[in-house]
Amino acid sequence: MSDKSLTRNATDKILVLKDLVIHYETDEEVVEAVNGIELELEKGKVLGLVGETGAGKTTTALGIMGLLPPKVGHVVQGSIWLEGEDLLRKTEKEMRSVRGKRISMIFQDPMTALNPVKTVGDQIAEVVLLHNHCSKAEAMKRAQDMLAMVGIVPERYKEYPHQFSGGMKQRIVIAIALACEPDLLIADEPTTALDVTIQAQILDMMRKLQKDKGTSMILITHDLGVVAEMCDDVAVMYAGQIVEYGPLEEVFDHPKHPYTRALYKSIPSLDKDVERLHVIPGLVPDPANLPAYCSFYERCQEKCDKCREFEPWAVEAAPGHVAKCIQYTPEWPQDVKKGGEE
Amino acid sequence: MVKYIIKRLLLLIPIILGVSAIIFTLKTLTPGDPARQILGNDATEEQIQAKRDELGLNDPAIVQYFRYIGGIVHGDFGKSYRTGEPVISEILPRLGTSAIITLGAVAIGAFVGVLLGILSALKKYTWVDSLVLVISMFFQSVPEFVVALVLIMIFAVNLHVLPATGIDSIKGYILPMATIGLASVANYTRITRSSMLEVLSEDYIRTARAKGQTEGNITFHHALRNAMIPVAQSIGTNIGNSIGGGMVIETVFGIPGVGKYIVDSITQRNYPSVLGGALIIAIVLTVINLIVDVSFVMIDPRLKTTIISGSSKKAPKKAAA
Repeated sequence: MSDKSLTRNATDKILVLKDLVIHYETDEEVVEAVNGIELELEKGKVLGLVGETGAGKTTTALGIMGLLPPKVGHVVQGSIWLEGEDLLRKTEKEMRSVRGKRISMIFQDPMTALNPVKTVGDQIAEVVLLHNHCSKAEAMKRAQDMLAMVGIVPERYKEYPHQFSGGMKQRIVIAIALACEPDLLIADEPTTALDVTIQAQILDMMRKLQKDKGTSMILITHDLGVVAEMCDDVAVMYAGQIVEYGPLEEVFDHPKHPYTRALYKSIPSLDKDVERLHVIPGLVPDPANLPAYCSFYERCQEKCDKCREFEPWAVEAAPGHVAKCIQYTPEWPQDVKKGGEE
Repeated sequence: MVKYIIKRLLLLIPIILGVSAIIFTLKTLTPGDPARQILGNDATEEQIQAKRDELGLNDPAIVQYFRYIGGIVHGDFGKSYRTGEPVISEILPRLGTSAIITLGAVAIGAFVGVLLGILSALKKYTWVDSLVLVISMFFQSVPEFVVALVLIMIFAVNLHVLPATGIDSIKGYILPMATIGLASVANYTRITRSSMLEVLSEDYIRTARAKGQTEGNITFHHALRNAMIPVAQSIGTNIGNSIGGGMVIETVFGIPGVGKYIVDSITQRNYPSVLGGALIIAIVLTVINLIVDVSFVMIDPRLKTTIISGSSKKAPKKAAA
């Protein structure tokens, strides 16, 4: 597909990733963190990016933000389109005006995401001052409004991060991210570091703010429950690839990829009494040494010999529902049972 | 906070007792008779005995010690054997001179050190980093009096821009300050570099980048203040070292400060002056350490809670005069 046609198609799409490949290169090895991701996010929608630790979720997010670790992290190929503009062609200066203003990011650990020696008011006002022509007093006013919006008494803007609890810190981080009303919000495991009761509060708040402002959102998580609560679409990542992608109900009710099916099996159930929880056998392949065939092969319960021969490509297994597995291609041997048929 | 300051000031009592006890012991163990030193070689045995009685030198050392401590409580640090003037009135005017030189030295050392530290952190593992390391290690390993002599050679003897000795003009302060300051550059550079590298990899730096902040503002507004906490903590210790360095350097440059006063007094067996000088430096150093500790609160708001509750704070280091 040429760039031109993509731009034309991308009008209702806030974010389009085309064949994105990201490597971490050190003297010893090359870590293939993200391998040819294709992703589209419609305006106002919430996309859940699910996967195990090390699947490349955070790397994808940092790649979109242009915040890959300097010198080590490289976008090797592909493109990142934000409302028809290629972010990878932008200069560092242009990217700075995108970050915080058009794309914001919420990080995993609120305990360390805030500068300990600056007041929370200053830290919210900072992003306002960077992207708006306004006075310090106006920015401070905006900071207080944002605090109120995330449910913190605005008078506490003069306090320092250590004077807030973990859940409140995450609210402040969210306030910073939303202060300039970004078009796209990337939330990288926003509730992982919080305890369960606070998780629910934060998620409720995020969903409400997202609906009110119509912000598009990528929610990175390994918690399928959170995805079910929050998302419109789901992308399942494994070893730097999106192995399954589709609308929430489709993916949850009719998972197409063997990995997704195995993931669902491993969710503990409240109704069933089981001796041992189901686990996916084996380990995620070493990203510095990925196989030339399907990267899930070693752990797959539904594999056949054909799977070792080449790397699977993305197939539309159902309308709008894509899976990277040869079960849905004519390559699949007729005599082998498919995983989905039971 | 007030409670904390009072508690720290009370620590002065054991420090004064300790420092004076050590110097008193040294005094009793050192050979040489102050009375003979004062009266000269021509004095008769009777004259010397009379002088010893007058100075109280015939009493047991422990009696002399407590007499001395009793005096300190009343602000009396004894009289100089040489001039007969109260020690305190001889030291106080010199204290100002020494304070200017020490603070100037600390300022130069900290400024150059922090700057080099930031530079080598931002350019880590490049030739800039290595060059900074070599320069700062050079000034740390070469003795201060050698640096002093080299600086005198360059700026006084060859270029004639700065005086070699004395502090008749303001220019006279520059070389001694620079000499003492350069010795501490390596210390600040090392601390700043490692602290800066640590801070720059913190999550809140990534948060600042995600806001669209410029690298310059990230370095100086977000990272530097956090990185300065260990640097500030080392300033207290460093002032102690600079005072120690000042003793030698004041002598090299012929500056009438406390350091030169103590060094001269030692050679003259002028014990009240040595004791008084050492004690006053100890007190000054304790107070400076307290000021440094209290000023951390301004850099790091998290400390406010620990300082108010007064927990787990180390006692300041004593002056090793």
